[in-house]
Amino acid sequence: MRFQEVSFRKLSENVWEIPRGKGMLVPGVIFASEAMMADIVKDESVRQVMNVAHLPGILRYSIGMPDIHWGYGFPIGGVAAMDVDEGVVSPGGVGYDINCGVRLLRSDLTAESLRPRLPELLAALHHEVPSGVGSTGFVRLSGQDEEKVLCEGSRWTAAAGFATEEDVAFTENGGKYPGADPDAVSAVAKKRGRNQLGTLGSGNHFLEIDEVTDVFDDEAAAAFGLFRGQAVVFIHSGSRGLGYQVCDDSLVIMAEYMRRNRIELPDRQLACAHIRSPEGERYLAALAAAANYAFANRQLLAHQARETFLKVLKAGPRDLGMRLVYDCGHNNAKFEEHEVDGRKRRVLVHRKGATRAYPAGSPDIPAAYRNVGQPVFIPGNMGTASYVLAGEPGAMRLSFGSTCHGAGRRMSRTQAKASVRGRSVAQDMEKRGVLVACASWKTLAEEIPEAYKDVTAVVDVVHGAGIARKVAKLKPMAVVKG
Amino acid sequence: MKRRRFRLLPHTADIRLEVRGRDLPELFAESVTALFSLLTDRRKVRARESRILRGAGGDPVDQLFHLLREALLLHSVDRFLARDARGTMESSGVTVEVAGETYDASRHALHREIKAVTAHAMAIEKGPGGYIARFVVDV
Repeated sequence: MRFQEVSFRKLSENVWEIPRGKGMLVPGVIFASEAMMADIVKDESVRQVMNVAHLPGILRYSIGMPDIHWGYGFPIGGVAAMDVDEGVVSPGGVGYDINCGVRLLRSDLTAESLRPRLPELLAALHHEVPSGVGSTGFVRLSGQDEEKVLCEGSRWTAAAGFATEEDVAFTENGGKYPGADPDAVSAVAKKRGRNQLGTLGSGNHFLEIDEVTDVFDDEAAAAFGLFRGQAVVFIHSGSRGLGYQVCDDSLVIMAEYMRRNRIELPDRQLACAHIRSPEGERYLAALAAAANYAFANRQLLAHQARETFLKVLKAGPRDLGMRLVYDCGHNNAKFEEHEVDGRKRRVLVHRKGATRAYPAGSPDIPAAYRNVGQPVFIPGNMGTASYVLAGEPGAMRLSFGSTCHGAGRRMSRTQAKASVRGRSVAQDMEKRGVLVACASWKTLAEEIPEAYKDVTAVVDVVHGAGIARKVAKLKPMAVVKG
Repeated sequence: MKRRRFRLLPHTADIRLEVRGRDLPELFAESVTALFSLLTDRRKVRARESRILRGAGGDPVDQLFHLLREALLLHSVDRFLARDARGTMESSGVTVEVAGETYDASRHALHREIKAVTAHAMAIEKGPGGYIARFVVDV
């Protein structure tokens, strides 16, 4: 297997090594099947894995997940861990949508019992959950409130009556990144964030009602509160304009830092600063604030979804059992402990389009999941399937406790739109048994199922490589797209 | 209104643009209008007020990056939409004057949300007929 002048070394069935080339401080590793590699080498994502290996202080290898595709700076589906003292933090290794992520709400409802009410429920969700370009949230934040959101994340939503203590406990990091500093967030970023809390956004963000169609691991499914035939709610969103602005602001500051410190890298979008520098510390404080905003945002979306279910189904909270299974981000940089060269070290793990996947026994996951591993959610596409996985010990050995985050795009948005010309995407989806409500038909056309890689193939790779294992498969029933 | 001076290049996840201009000021102005064309149908935008954008920075690529960031901010913070743009070369760099109006939901449809203009693989080339710029926006 080759990418331009580079030939890969097959380490095992689903693991490929890119040998260290000129300027690379470590080798690259890509998790993929042979068939997927044939696709992966067609775009620039392999080059991007190699570029990331140039970053000062990178440890062991620059990693690509099986849903890897061409991004900017880092590939989407990229993981890199940095030495805390010698290494850098790169906003391009997190992305614009800081702490974009996914949460899953379980329920006591069966998909079958819900099916007749779906059209009504979907219309109500589309109405109650702000989505699409330029939408504003139902919560009006004062400047002071916004600072609390940035400092407290999900904890603010609990204090404001939008979350239970259980919601907070079942969110990654307890819904709050440490070290957040609102003063590190620019006035422009705050202005962009003030009226967007509790909005879904557009593009690939969604709110779905899914059916659990398969259970592969009974023990883990039971721990997560999932059963076959169950209706669940799946939410994908991030830190909205506030996060984009934090990233954008920091790139300019870091480009200047690199000039001053004579750091040269193959891509401007990899702009970075040493973790210990004032520039690096400031970005990490702003990143934590934006991450907290994202947790609060998804919590408000979940709150709206629950309220809508209660209203439409004329039920009480106890009847529905819509408990949060977990909430986990897939665009972030976090300080974590990992074993490197035989000893435990504190490192900064960048995950851009990659999910943390801690195994059973990890102290950093809720006690209820400590026997089975952390839940990981892998949205596929709006037509076919999504997966619930659990973290496996292999992730700690091979990928700094990380796994994939989705199916990964296969088609560009233009290609996707061109391929649907003349047919109704909503009708096509209905034929597949999926109801769709959307803010923009253009977005819907860009998000057709064919635009994505086969999520099952992606999940089979991480399962086979032992970094996460399959717990359950979901099929969309009703989708709200931004 | 002039005919389109840009086209979309293949990119899996985001949008990659190629813009042409006879000289740098025109290239920069066309890049700004290309960005607004991704956001809305510019024919529906009235040229009611003008705003000035400055592409401060070292080399032309730096200047273009800053200019496009400013242009996007004009939209994402002030909800401004541009119909046309005109570039002039000054000693400090290129200045682009945009004409347009504030977003009005009753008259303007927004095509998409642009998260950011990225610096990834941003390039300016000089060719026989003028200049070509390529850049990626995150959507």
